[in-house]
Amino acid sequence: MKIRDQFRFVRQNMKKNRTRVFMTILATAMGCAFLIVLASVGFGLQKSVVKEMLEQSIVTQIDVHGKELKDGGFQPISDKDIPKLEKVKDVKAVTNRFMLQQEGIYSIGNYQAGGETIVTDFPSEVKAGFELSSGRLPKSDNEVVVGYDFPFSLGTKEEVEDLYDHNGHVKKKYRYPEKLLGKNLELTVKQLKNGKQEEKNLELTVVGIGKKPAKEWMQDRKVFISKKIVKEIESFTGTPHGELLGPGEEAPEVSKTNVDIYDEVKIYATNMEAVQGIVDQLKDQHYTTYSVVNELKQVNMVFNIAKAGLIFIGTIAILIASIGIYNTMTMAVTERAPDIGIMKAIGANPKTIKRIFLLESSYIGLIGAVIGTIVSYGISYAVNFAIPFIIKQALGEEPPAGLIFSDIPWILPIICFVICYAVTILSGYRPATRAVKVDVLKAMRREV
Amino acid sequence: MITIKNLSHEFVIGKKGRQTVIPVLKDISIEVDKGEIVTIIGRSGSGKSTLLNLVSGFIHPKEGEIWMNGVKVSDLNEAGFADFRIDNLGFIFQSFQLIPSMTAFQNVELPLILKGVSEQERKQQTAKMLERVGLQDFQDHYPSELSGGQQQRVSIARALIVNPPIILADEPTGSLDSETEESLLQFIKELNHDYGITFLIITHDEKVAEIGDRMIELKDGRIVEEGVLA
Repeated sequence: MKIRDQFRFVRQNMKKNRTRVFMTILATAMGCAFLIVLASVGFGLQKSVVKEMLEQSIVTQIDVHGKELKDGGFQPISDKDIPKLEKVKDVKAVTNRFMLQQEGIYSIGNYQAGGETIVTDFPSEVKAGFELSSGRLPKSDNEVVVGYDFPFSLGTKEEVEDLYDHNGHVKKKYRYPEKLLGKNLELTVKQLKNGKQEEKNLELTVVGIGKKPAKEWMQDRKVFISKKIVKEIESFTGTPHGELLGPGEEAPEVSKTNVDIYDEVKIYATNMEAVQGIVDQLKDQHYTTYSVVNELKQVNMVFNIAKAGLIFIGTIAILIASIGIYNTMTMAVTERAPDIGIMKAIGANPKTIKRIFLLESSYIGLIGAVIGTIVSYGISYAVNFAIPFIIKQALGEEPPAGLIFSDIPWILPIICFVICYAVTILSGYRPATRAVKVDVLKAMRREV
Repeated sequence: MITIKNLSHEFVIGKKGRQTVIPVLKDISIEVDKGEIVTIIGRSGSGKSTLLNLVSGFIHPKEGEIWMNGVKVSDLNEAGFADFRIDNLGFIFQSFQLIPSMTAFQNVELPLILKGVSEQERKQQTAKMLERVGLQDFQDHYPSELSGGQQQRVSIARALIVNPPIILADEPTGSLDSETEESLLQFIKELNHDYGITFLIITHDEKVAEIGDRMIELKDGRIVEEGVLA
């Protein structure tokens, strides 16, 4: 018997008791929708959390904090470590930064701004993806690159009440009106000397402005200065990296400090898949690291367990629906026993009979799964639409931006279809076996 | 075409421990040649229906052998017999055994569907067969909308649709009036004459039994008389 004819047969049989079949399909659809919607919450929340994590960091980035020593001590990353780190397989770039240990005050004419002052190695920054929105990289020691938002933070030195707008930028009317590229900035650093605060001014030229941060909420007000300038600052402050001294505090001798120690060392892998390998290699060399991939792994593991649990609970709903399929199929076999007897009498193979009944139960299951999937997409959409309003109304606060409460990835309907199909085959198997065992003579009510 | 060798059968009735064995057929041997019509006659309880059920493969014999068209069918399992049946046997039942939810056309087409014949081919063959049995105008009628004679013709058309070399008939005229019975018997003779189909007919009616080339009488599960009819 051709598969097409088997399908036709099944459809004809299903039409014989539409209400019963419809109710069974409805129960299966409800079970499938329950499974998908339930699991979609796990998928949705995972997506939200992972998205949040990825937005705040770069997946190929590995933070190297330092090195664990054999005696249990901890050694920060210094110049000596950088070449070793660069040699690790699949490393694209190693950036190293240290910060000026006081807030530098930058002024130009009647305008000034505070900024995070950083020393970095530009070639490795460029390799890691650092880009300028305008200008060029520094060529001489007194040339600097400023962050994208730095020009917006240069405000008037006069006392005004509402200096900043809602974005945290200095309002246009108080802001430095000209373009900053090529202009000279004055960096003022301070130090307490003999109980008296002294200041030193350094002349710097802005040659480049960094690229706009990828995220709207991020602001980049950094100023990248050269090592030579830092040396000048250190010779004034008498402390490493220009550290400010408190009253009565003695300055450590600069000559004894390690100026080649970095505050921030980041490794950039060639791709996300290489991150774990790099982390493992660094671990072998006793470096302590942090990577969002590691954290993602943990988060994903927790969510995967949660999703498996939700799918399991959803499967129970399909199992309950399968009782309906079993019942429908058992009744179908009982009702159609005379027809089955006739078919067997004229030469229907037992396998064909079994296949027809299994096909019918699968048909019910799969139609239920299709309807359930469509409905669950609708529910998922509605939930995502309504949840922010509900949270706002019930809790009186804004839900987290970009919250996805329910997400149905393509794999979820597939999982549902596989579970549904397996369950319907199981529930249809016994009735199908009963159909095969129908006694021809009894079915045709013939005397023996 | 059909060889039955030393066939014996018994039914066991009752619950375990208190079972009763009822012998139904005892040492039956019959030979039916190709193109022959053999009728088996006997009273109720003589074992004639059991004999047909054994030949049809609806029950498995306890003892003896059954050969049909060169195949030892008594050794076949259910699936094997099903395959043999669809290619070699046609059935005519007393109560027609048509599927009530199918039209006359669909009932006749069913064996071809089970055989896996293409849709176009089976539509042609079914239409031709219905024409042959004179029911071309009733093809869309359900069995309940047909007379007894018409239903039996549909049943015959269904038996003939796969061109079987053997047709097994169980009281084929049992539910028909005398006029229809006459025309059906005539039709069986024509089929036998024109296509050389072998018939094994079970009946209690002597008039029906007389259409055969040979008649075998069963009594209490044994052959009591066998003879060639003029």
